[in-house]
Amino acid sequence: MKVSKRWIVLFLAPGTALFLFIYALSLGMLLVTSFTSWSIGSEVGFAGLGNYIELFLSATFRQSLVNNLIWILLQCTIHVAIGVVFALIIARRKWYYKIARTVFMIPNIISNAALGMLFLCVLNPKFGPLNAALTAITGKPFTHNWFLDPRTAFLTVTLTWLPFAAVVGILVLAEMAAVDDSIYEASAIDGASEFQTNIYVTLPMMRNVIGTGTVLAATSMLQKLDIIMMTTNGGPGVKTTNMPMLIYQTALRDNNFSLANAQGVLLIIIGLIAIGLINRIYRMNEAD
Amino acid sequence: MNEASFNRICAILTAAGLAAALFAACSQGGTQSSSAPPAGDTGEVAAESTASAADGVITIKYPTYAVGANINVKAEQAKLARFEELYGDTIKLEIEELPSDPAYTDKMKILAASNELPDLVDGKNGLRDLAIKNGQAMDLLPVLEADPEYRADLGEESIQANMSEDGKLYSIVGNSQVVGYYYNKEMFADAGIEPAKTWDEFTENCEKLLAKGYTPMALMTGENSWTTNLLLSSMIGTAGEAGNTLMNTYHPETYQTPEVIDALERMKLYLQKYTTADAIGALYANAANNFEQEQAAMIFNGLWMTTDFTNPEKCPEGFDEKVGIAAYPEQGLIANYAEGFVVCSTTPEKQDAAVKLMKCFTDAEGQRISMELANNIPAGNNVEISEDFKAANPFFVQLMDFRKDIKYTYATFDVMAYASVVDAFGKYYPDLAYDTITAAEMAQKLDEAAASSK
Repeated sequence: MKVSKRWIVLFLAPGTALFLFIYALSLGMLLVTSFTSWSIGSEVGFAGLGNYIELFLSATFRQSLVNNLIWILLQCTIHVAIGVVFALIIARRKWYYKIARTVFMIPNIISNAALGMLFLCVLNPKFGPLNAALTAITGKPFTHNWFLDPRTAFLTVTLTWLPFAAVVGILVLAEMAAVDDSIYEASAIDGASEFQTNIYVTLPMMRNVIGTGTVLAATSMLQKLDIIMMTTNGGPGVKTTNMPMLIYQTALRDNNFSLANAQGVLLIIIGLIAIGLINRIYRMNEAD
Repeated sequence: MNEASFNRICAILTAAGLAAALFAACSQGGTQSSSAPPAGDTGEVAAESTASAADGVITIKYPTYAVGANINVKAEQAKLARFEELYGDTIKLEIEELPSDPAYTDKMKILAASNELPDLVDGKNGLRDLAIKNGQAMDLLPVLEADPEYRADLGEESIQANMSEDGKLYSIVGNSQVVGYYYNKEMFADAGIEPAKTWDEFTENCEKLLAKGYTPMALMTGENSWTTNLLLSSMIGTAGEAGNTLMNTYHPETYQTPEVIDALERMKLYLQKYTTADAIGALYANAANNFEQEQAAMIFNGLWMTTDFTNPEKCPEGFDEKVGIAAYPEQGLIANYAEGFVVCSTTPEKQDAAVKLMKCFTDAEGQRISMELANNIPAGNNVEISEDFKAANPFFVQLMDFRKDIKYTYATFDVMAYASVVDAFGKYYPDLAYDTITAAEMAQKLDEAAASSK
């Protein structure tokens, strides 16, 4: 079919214009202002690499960077693994698969604000059901402060999102549905067990979609803000502070826009590196 | 029409639709759909967002967080109704409701960055400083010079409290903040104690309450650590001249002083031993609920809380009879003035309209409304306090009596410290309570937080 170039240009124009004016322009401004000194009400001046040097000298920034990298790593491994295993179990289409799929999806359709409140209640040291259950089991009063005890804060916050891998699971399930039945029939004729089929047949064919799920999981950690604000506000100290949280605080608490923008630039760079690495690891641009 | 023509028309319509959507999304609307009066029926809504000189009506913007469950909602509505009655024919308000203090502060900071603060803003949480810095804040001294009656309504003390170092007055407040603490008289009687006169006695009282099975204090370290910081500021503010001076200094140079470190050391003990299990990370609502449901013997808070004590949705019946009010040990009382209102209008007409609105909020009548509907203490002495009001508000009367014999008065951290310092308290109280940092290290963290805002 012959397609006129005019139509291609016409249909691409709105999207391109949106990108240029909303994203490209903002990214350009972000980059430029990260080399300035700019706080509310003050004159904007050139600061060179001053903001970046200040960031790497800051223990708070280094801690939030490390936290962010750990969370990205956990998302790329444990979170994705949970999603994939879930998909493999659901794909067996046993009696429970519909209800399991729905239940697994629920945390993903609740807003993070509501989810944060839910966790605050469940893990409340005084009246939370978790401590109540532990009190009943141990027979001793159990009032552990899960979110703000420095020993458990990081793990507890992590558990508010790490197990909820429905998006990865649904993506893998959709891909699995597209696999020709004849492939599974052939592996069954060859005497492969269900486990062997999953490991040697299904998973290799899922490589690209698992890679896509990993990209989504990793980049979600570059945006995680609301649930941290609701549960620990980045504390105790900076033990659960990540880069988005620090950007928010730098811009809207300390009024230092240029320093916040330098953090934004670094956040984008980390995102690009993460996507590049995942692409390489999963060989996403290569055909099977 | 053949199929090709039909497809072409559909394609043109789709492309036109996309382009129209793009322009619609990118263009700025001329009207603000958020314009609406606060919860009550005040009727101040204007369609146009700019001053309309043609019909003699000026439109000014006024953002507010006194909405929903905010304690000041009724007073705000009454004051806006009064403004409408006085100036409704010539001034229209474009009111933007913001659901919480943080939402208000964040929005105003964004607007301050582009010199677009609304005509009248509350200068809390550093907003006044930003309005001064970006050049929008209007000097209000000429307003007071032109209206001696209004100046008398405000009282010299509140005016002096907000005077800037450059000799100008950028904000005006109609209320003063006087804060003691509340205690459960039944629990105190059972433990055989009276409100403490010294901090050592205060700690002994806590021990006696604990021995009787009562949790002594309803503290909280979430949000702005409000109840906890009131106690901390009292410990510092009553620690001799040096501590009192620090707590009355706007943006002090350092928190690494013996008075602050001693107070933090004591606070560490209180957080570890004498408060509720949920205090670390708790919100104000949690702390208030702990006191009002008789889960704790003391809470540190202002008069505005007393309206809760007779509210059957919050407290058991007759709870108000059980509550007593006290000044802090060493004859201390928190007494300060918040920043109040800042006029940020850019034209003389709008400045005049915004000043009129500010006066409605802060003159003697505005202060009376605030006192009667929100238990706020008037800034000046021109508000007549009726016998009926006194009879209905015994805590108010007692607190006013305490003021006569007080040795130390001091400000809250929310007024005298950078927002980053207030935020740092919430971050490092958990570390202090769980012994992962010392009091001296926490004082250092407070200095680091202050440095990030300088």
